[in-house]
Amino acid sequence: MHRKRGFSMEKKKARWGWVFVTPSLILFAAFSFYPIINAFYESFFNRNLLSLRPPRFVGWDNYTYLFGSKDFWLSVQNTLIFTLGTFLPLLVLSLVLAVFIMSIKRFRRFFQMAFYSPAVLSSVVAALIWLLIFDPRGLANQGLNALMGTAGVNYNWLSTTGMLRLSTIVVYFWKYIGYFTVIFVSGIGSIPDTLREAALIDGANRWTLFWYVTLPLLKPTTMLVSIMAMIQCLKTFSTQYMFTNAGAPTRPINVITLNIYNTAIKDYRIGRATAMSILLFIVMFAFTWLQLKVSRTEEVSHM
Amino acid sequence: MNAHKTRSWRLEKMATTLIWLFLIVACILVVIPLVFMFTAAAMPARDILRMPYPWIPEGFYWQNFWNGLRGPEGTFIFIRNALNSLIVAGTVSAFTVLFSSLAGYGLAKFEFKGRTLVFMLIMATMMIPFEAIMIPLYMVAMRMGLQDTYTGLILPFLANAFGVFLMRQYLITFPDEILDAARIDGASEPRIFSRIVLPSSGSAVATLAILAFRSQWDSLLWPLLVVQSDEMKTIPLYITKFMAETHSDEGIMMAIAVMASIPMIVLFLTLSKYFINKDGLTSATKG
Repeated sequence: MHRKRGFSMEKKKARWGWVFVTPSLILFAAFSFYPIINAFYESFFNRNLLSLRPPRFVGWDNYTYLFGSKDFWLSVQNTLIFTLGTFLPLLVLSLVLAVFIMSIKRFRRFFQMAFYSPAVLSSVVAALIWLLIFDPRGLANQGLNALMGTAGVNYNWLSTTGMLRLSTIVVYFWKYIGYFTVIFVSGIGSIPDTLREAALIDGANRWTLFWYVTLPLLKPTTMLVSIMAMIQCLKTFSTQYMFTNAGAPTRPINVITLNIYNTAIKDYRIGRATAMSILLFIVMFAFTWLQLKVSRTEEVSHM
Repeated sequence: MNAHKTRSWRLEKMATTLIWLFLIVACILVVIPLVFMFTAAAMPARDILRMPYPWIPEGFYWQNFWNGLRGPEGTFIFIRNALNSLIVAGTVSAFTVLFSSLAGYGLAKFEFKGRTLVFMLIMATMMIPFEAIMIPLYMVAMRMGLQDTYTGLILPFLANAFGVFLMRQYLITFPDEILDAARIDGASEPRIFSRIVLPSSGSAVATLAILAFRSQWDSLLWPLLVVQSDEMKTIPLYITKFMAETHSDEGIMMAIAVMASIPMIVLFLTLSKYFINKDGLTSATKG
């Protein structure tokens, strides 16, 4: 179709294509590709943030140090506990909420907006609110005491290892539950009505309809939500940073990003911090690659 | 047969009631912390940690907001910090839209050698999480003297791979006939982009602009690294500093939380369709 208008027009158009993509390409080269290559490079040196001496090449030392470091493995453990503890309840409950919202006739939009509303706040503000709720005199103790029928028990939300981990999970869960609910709602919304109607005519009840029709058709959305939630959880930083900043013990919630930050900024060990970054990158790379693959198959299945 | 029908009808009705009950209880639980923030902001600190919590403030304790604005040193630095947040989030948002739509348009409507490669390279950057490159980026920013500057806060976020992807998907269906007609009329390519393509990409642009604005408004990690002086702090940094220095007055803390959230709440209530929208949602992980 374009060929009719001749060769020079084609060439001119091609040149304009390059003009349009060049600004972004330069930015990506400078702020994505260069830093990641640089991170690989730096992870083989023992650069100190404050020292003026040139960094010394240390080979795999940073990595062998990390693999032998209790502190690093504790961070890995903390991150895994947080990720699993957050993403599994998130996945299940957001699916349940979405199915429930789609099964009622009125107020669908209202519920979606209400559940989504915490996601509008910044994570720093969310942590701030929950710090007060988890105060020994705060709402968390009041609520749990009322629920358990106890009086004046302090559940130590911000001091004992298990409770502190649970607290960070609660904050995150609260902030993102609506977000994933909305994704599931749009997933259910894209299931053709004819399928549900056919199942209903065949005598399906609510449960069989969910189990044999909705859930299998939601598989791509479920995959997408799982991977997205996991990626989000692996990167968690703000809540843990805010809680430790407010005086909570660091060890139980010293997740990997917090560890990277402290290793670089408080201990000045740039090489060790970048080596940790590279390990995080490899894990997240795998997850993101999966996400891209899954979201592509989802597109196809909806057409 | 009839008895069976009424039984299943009754079951159905019970299920509906339970679903409503579940949704309402869940809704209350999710909203409670928000209600707590707004009510506590209007109370003096001594009321906030009273047991049980008095849900309704006795009058509006405006001193919380005044003291929050004034700051511990009475310098009103919060206003400056809020302005910083607006400047950074606004600039990033505007440039993200510009660069993403330029690249998206170039990839969607122009055939050139290496187009697929360019597209794949840009998509590949989605697999590089910011948390993995922040330390090297920080070293670069230091070397370039970008510490404590707006440029330092803004520059790393101007290009957004998801933005390019979103704009490309949106523009790929844009009718070629309109573009060709404009070309025949003698319009230059930049003019076609700014007068025809950009104005007709409203919803994609709005989704992207809000996404970029939100992620910057929320951003803590990068400003923590780059900013040193109180003057250059953004709102999240102001909050962390305020908390570390004076985490005694809960009323002021909640007043600051409310003030920090107002722009987002206003955006959410007026433009909720761009928040609750699948394109915007599946991307926010890349923020």
